[in-house]
Amino acid sequence: MTTVALQVNRRAVEVSAEPRTSLADFVRDKLDLTGTHLGCEHGVCGACTVLLDGVPARSCITYAVTCAGADITTIEGLDEDEVTTELRAAFTREHALQCGYCTPGMLVSARDLVLRLPDADERRIRVGLSGNLCRCTGYVGIVRAVQSVIEARRARNIAPLADGGRTSLGPAGSGRAMFGGDEPEPAPRVSVPASDGAAPVRISDFVPATVLDQSFTLPHAPTKVLAMFDDIADIASCLPGVSLTAPPTPERVEGMISVKLGPIAASFEGVARVERDPATLSGRIVGVGTDQRSRSATQGEIRYRLLPLEGGAATAVELSIGYTLTGMLAQVGRSGLVRDLAKRLVAEFAGNLDRHMAGAPSGQVAAAELSGWSIVSDVSRAGLARMFGRAFTGKGGAE
Amino acid sequence: MKPAPFSYERPRDLDAALSMLAASRGSAKIIAGGQSLGPMLNLRLVQPELIVDISGLAELKRAEVSRGELVLGALITHADIEDGRTADVTRGAMRGVAANIAYRAVRNRGTIGGSLSHADPAADWISSLAALGARVTLRSLAGARTMAIEAFVVGALESALHAGEIVEAIHVPSRAASAHWGYAKSCRKTGEFAHAIGAVLIDPVAASARVVIGAIDTTPIVVTDAAELFGGRIVADYKQRFDARVADDLLTKAGIDDAAQRHIHVRVLKRAVLEATA
Repeated sequence: MTTVALQVNRRAVEVSAEPRTSLADFVRDKLDLTGTHLGCEHGVCGACTVLLDGVPARSCITYAVTCAGADITTIEGLDEDEVTTELRAAFTREHALQCGYCTPGMLVSARDLVLRLPDADERRIRVGLSGNLCRCTGYVGIVRAVQSVIEARRARNIAPLADGGRTSLGPAGSGRAMFGGDEPEPAPRVSVPASDGAAPVRISDFVPATVLDQSFTLPHAPTKVLAMFDDIADIASCLPGVSLTAPPTPERVEGMISVKLGPIAASFEGVARVERDPATLSGRIVGVGTDQRSRSATQGEIRYRLLPLEGGAATAVELSIGYTLTGMLAQVGRSGLVRDLAKRLVAEFAGNLDRHMAGAPSGQVAAAELSGWSIVSDVSRAGLARMFGRAFTGKGGAE
Repeated sequence: MKPAPFSYERPRDLDAALSMLAASRGSAKIIAGGQSLGPMLNLRLVQPELIVDISGLAELKRAEVSRGELVLGALITHADIEDGRTADVTRGAMRGVAANIAYRAVRNRGTIGGSLSHADPAADWISSLAALGARVTLRSLAGARTMAIEAFVVGALESALHAGEIVEAIHVPSRAASAHWGYAKSCRKTGEFAHAIGAVLIDPVAASARVVIGAIDTTPIVVTDAAELFGGRIVADYKQRFDARVADDLLTKAGIDDAAQRHIHVRVLKRAVLEATA
């Protein structure tokens, strides 16, 4: 806990809160200002929009502790505000709300548009309000209400505030704190118990939700590459981020894969079944894994096929990677990032294989830290990327 | 949708921030405006032990023109640029880009340095700054280094930042009076991350052009000598000379296998070319 001192609705407030407490939770739970609504909690829906040092900000992805010393105005603090008063009347007149859930955030954003854009037409108003979602009205009444206030103020020759009233540089709400921070007590970390391993996990067949095809070539004969694919311990040592948790048998492997995509890291622990068809130089590895921390599970399979090149002197390795992800990580998705990651990891895997087959000690080849590409869960990593994406599909690229 | 617990530090200056980062051995994350990190924390995609809040560091909020280039501290927000609170050497190019990033509430906190650090290929600054020929300065306790934006982004969400290093400043060269600027993006919904970005800086007088095809799920395609996109030379009627097949080939070479995706990227680039103005 840390003490957070700031002004809310022109009143000085000093309350202790955890560093992870969002500004929205802070005003709702600590100050009982429940007019600030939480919808998506990741910066997309706009219901939580408040004024931070006078300009709109998302209170769900702004942490109260980072706003020390700042001025917060919630919807409750706008009762006497001139523009908001006009907007409230217009919202009533134009039937600009139904359930009212989006309205506090909508009014905060609308107020900003009224102040900044004295010439806004319908299109600009719609663009300006695109960060506030309403599921009832179809926006028609809202846009009309905002437009009527803008026009009325223009008719009264009220000068705009082009910058919304902000004069200093840097993130709104920043720079007004004393220095220092949380007492350096380490954040409590829940240690994740390893899966008990008592009950053997069933590996069932499945139809993957996503399939990625990748290929690379190796300057070695297909039979030699096939032998490499048959040796689970060897192949695992070439897979970045993979470690085996038990001695593998030819048919079954237990292991762990640590994957990393940008700042996201996860460890999937699981088992895989190995199938081979030496006659067609192909095989299949199908597995399941779970990441305890994100409570996500993945099923994945890798099909591989080796094709002789250059009269058998080299081998084309064709991989078909399929996966299905469930749980928290599956809720978000931008599959494009997966392809990039998969390509980079397959390239790394191919390089490791090549070095390994050329006689480099196996301890070195897999030294690359977590960017796992695994038999069990290359898939999970891919899933990670997917999941990760949707958090951002609602906003443009903005740190 | 609440973050896992983390500790919090608010360093008094950049050196203190870098020391905290170095001491954390990778278990700390820097937060500035938090508009990319916040959602990831809330979704528990990222669970750092320590958050180092640099948002108050005045030394990262500088914006000044020096020796013909604009130097922006990492903490300059999109709204700072949109509103013209910072100087501009791009004759409005950066203002136009800034004004269309996400939503105003996000732009009021989101920073240019944070957006670059996050290295999302679909973000606006990565592509637009590469087209403008900008460079980025990274700082760690060991010192500073400067590199071109296109060298900074190494893949989806992967930047050249080492552990213990942060983006300190962005250097934007002056846009020549004869240089045309065009920027277009395709978003399914206003404010969403782009599915395609085209950014062009074309100077028919100097016969030079920088062309960027962005939001392609990996490092943007940056063509610094773009004559081949315009039939071999860059002249006044470059808009008519734009060769979509060359752009399509570039995308194929970058590994974009899906013809429909390539089509979208080529169309968006073409729009940027056609809308380019002095």
